[in-house]
Amino acid sequence: MKKSLLAIALLSAIYGVAAPATALAKEVNLLNVSYDPTRELYQDFNKAFAAFWKTKTGDDVVVKTSHGGSGKQARAIIDGLDADVATLALAYDVDQLQEKGKLIPKDWQKRLAHNSSPYTSTIVFLVRKGNPKNIKDWGDLVKQNVSVITPNPKTSGGARWNYLAAWAYAQKQNGNDEAKTKEFISKLFKNVPVLDTGARGSTTTFVERGIGDVLLAWENEAFLAQKELGVGKFEIVVPSLSILAEPPVTVVDKFAKKHGTEAVAKAYLEYLYTEEGQEIAAKNYYRPTLASVAKKYEAQFPKVNFVKIDEDFGGWQAAQKKHFSDGGTFDQIYSKQ
Amino acid sequence: MQFKLSKYAAVLIASGIISLPITASANDSAELEELRGLVQALSQQVKVLARKGEINEETADAAKKTTPIVKASSGGFSLSSPDGKNEIKFRGLIQADYRAYSSGANDVRNRSNQRAGDLDANGFHDATDTALLRRVRPTIEGKVGGKYGFRFTPEFAGGSASAVDAYVEANFSPAFKVRAGKQKSIVGLERLQGGGDIKFIERSYVTNAILPNRDLGVTVSGDLLSNKLNYGVGIVNGVNDGGNISTGNEYNGEREYTARLFTTPFNDSTSALAGLGFGIGGTYTKFTGERNLNFTDTSAADATRNGLPSYVTDGQQTFFRYAGGAVADGKRFRITPQANYYFGPLGVIAEYARVSQDVSLTTGGSLAAGGGGTNTAFVAGSNKKLKHDAWQVAASYLITGEDASFKGVKPKNNFDLDKGGWGAWELVARYSEINLDNDTFKNPAGTDFTGAYADLSTSAKSAKSWIAGVNWYLSENAKVALNYTHTSFDGGAGVGITPVNLAGTNITDRENENALLARFQVAF
Repeated sequence: MKKSLLAIALLSAIYGVAAPATALAKEVNLLNVSYDPTRELYQDFNKAFAAFWKTKTGDDVVVKTSHGGSGKQARAIIDGLDADVATLALAYDVDQLQEKGKLIPKDWQKRLAHNSSPYTSTIVFLVRKGNPKNIKDWGDLVKQNVSVITPNPKTSGGARWNYLAAWAYAQKQNGNDEAKTKEFISKLFKNVPVLDTGARGSTTTFVERGIGDVLLAWENEAFLAQKELGVGKFEIVVPSLSILAEPPVTVVDKFAKKHGTEAVAKAYLEYLYTEEGQEIAAKNYYRPTLASVAKKYEAQFPKVNFVKIDEDFGGWQAAQKKHFSDGGTFDQIYSKQ
Repeated sequence: MQFKLSKYAAVLIASGIISLPITASANDSAELEELRGLVQALSQQVKVLARKGEINEETADAAKKTTPIVKASSGGFSLSSPDGKNEIKFRGLIQADYRAYSSGANDVRNRSNQRAGDLDANGFHDATDTALLRRVRPTIEGKVGGKYGFRFTPEFAGGSASAVDAYVEANFSPAFKVRAGKQKSIVGLERLQGGGDIKFIERSYVTNAILPNRDLGVTVSGDLLSNKLNYGVGIVNGVNDGGNISTGNEYNGEREYTARLFTTPFNDSTSALAGLGFGIGGTYTKFTGERNLNFTDTSAADATRNGLPSYVTDGQQTFFRYAGGAVADGKRFRITPQANYYFGPLGVIAEYARVSQDVSLTTGGSLAAGGGGTNTAFVAGSNKKLKHDAWQVAASYLITGEDASFKGVKPKNNFDLDKGGWGAWELVARYSEINLDNDTFKNPAGTDFTGAYADLSTSAKSAKSWIAGVNWYLSENAKVALNYTHTSFDGGAGVGITPVNLAGTNITDRENENALLARFQVAF
């Protein structure tokens, strides 16, 4: 007994003197539940943040990520997926964390700059090399011989952006005649042979399976496909009008509190706004919000005539209710097909 | 499928290209373009079909993660979450019995019972043949969050409903499980065998007479050393020998401490000793009963307020009962070494149990007919430590070759007249006896047989029983059992209906009991 106590005391003394820093270091685990096309972004970002956090605190942070259709991911968190942070495709899905799960406060969007959207994106067309169907704008998507690839707006945040961009175009073309706009959207979805559940699935359908003439894609996803997945096989077409997508981020307070990770989760999201974080976003083809980085990568992103969710659709709550809720315009249009 | 279709499309395309020079002379370029377009459209359709198949598979896989699993099997009916962490199960056990007696008494001597009719010349009623429902037990059990569970088993047999098991539990790890509520006592080996799995229609004296049945309290148990050592400890209200506690409050205020260690040291070997298990269990409490004549008049093996048990035979007839003035008054200690062995179709179980119970004689108490009474008063100098013991050796052999085990039997071939299966057949035999302390039947001074803790001319000092039987397992869920049991006694009767005399010279042995017990059981 005495020998054991002595050994413990000796080990404690040696350890205490020789390794004071490591003795205090701890490993922190974070789960980031995100939408489909952010795999590459957060792969890079997580490494950078881990290095930053290690330098700052001495702690090791291990960030795990989960990806899927934005709506599905929100439901998974509400159903108990213990996310410390949520980085979803659109604000409506994050709102659900508050409304249905009471996991975050009502004013979550005010906690970080730019309505908690550290980067933006938009919707563009990805076509096959040479643009054989000569697709230049939304109007070309409803032609009879054009096959369009987009995911299901019921499950995918990206698909909802696609849908609204198409809607905005049709409204403008038809002088806000909603009947004609519905007819346009109906024709468009008649040209959609496969509805994937998420944006990455649609990219697989178009790029790897060789289906369709045009992919309605997140801008970052289109760049990725063009430059990394199928070099020289695809071209990006920027339509005459598109929508400014603002993917939001939030700490999932209830779970972070439960895990004791509130501080590191907050720091993780704040790091997205730093110059380093914005550089990583830009390199992964997301449009940075920090002016200096945006200026640096200005040439990378084409100029787009944007409509905005708040200004043109009355915000996500109104857009969701009108278009994507059960019995909404999408259901009306798609159920007839 | 996708590969085949794609290949087919590629062949079609290739055919178009290869045949170009041959057909060029016969067709103009517009037709070629049309053909090429057709093949490309066909190729797209094939790809779309294949992709839809992939998406359907992905959707189905995703749905599996959230779709509850409904099971209906021989193990019962259940509804569980896909990850298995949340589950509710519905199970049941119904036993329809028949008891026939060729000879034997239905109670201790000189106890009148209006329903059973007048006593015979020697003060007994004959045991009557009867059909009965022995167990009618639906069970709801489940777990939430993977760790926390519950079980509720009511009993509808016996003319009234009661809770057999009603507990909650937390399975923190295989080595550390906590259970609280009404539950089986952890100490007896045969008791821990399920009511539907026991090899005989009734359990032995060790289990039914000496050791507790079910009790209320908290137990901690677990498996250690790669499941070679099972331990259990508990703090419970405490219950009479063979007793099944009610779900109400405990009236005595003293806790009973229970513990058991059981080891299966060769369970991971392939040797003949792999099925050997042995261990020891025990209980300890201090217990003070109340003299309440109304309560001491209750049925055998029931919890009574005097804190003392009655004992029954294999044929479930009461042959021992304490005197009306006797109450538990002090320490109660039980110990039970136990072992079992399974090797192929052979199964053996051996158990011994000894109870040491401090008992006093009293006066006063409630009147038998109810109403006013007087306070229970202990008779000075009457406190005595009485030691009773029982043991059993039982063997079973599956003549149809199935492996024997502590749990039920799964026939190699279910009984099926159309397909020719005969189920599983098992022969069983047991010897079991119980011996009561000689001092039980003498007065506190030990000088004569009157004024004793029990009357030797009405309650027997020992019972020795052997049983032979056969079990027919029609399937995993259905069993027919037949037992023939013979029991002989030491004491328990006298001359005519005269009470025992001082010298005990008018004590004779109770008539042997021969009984045929039959059961048809369905369990799931």
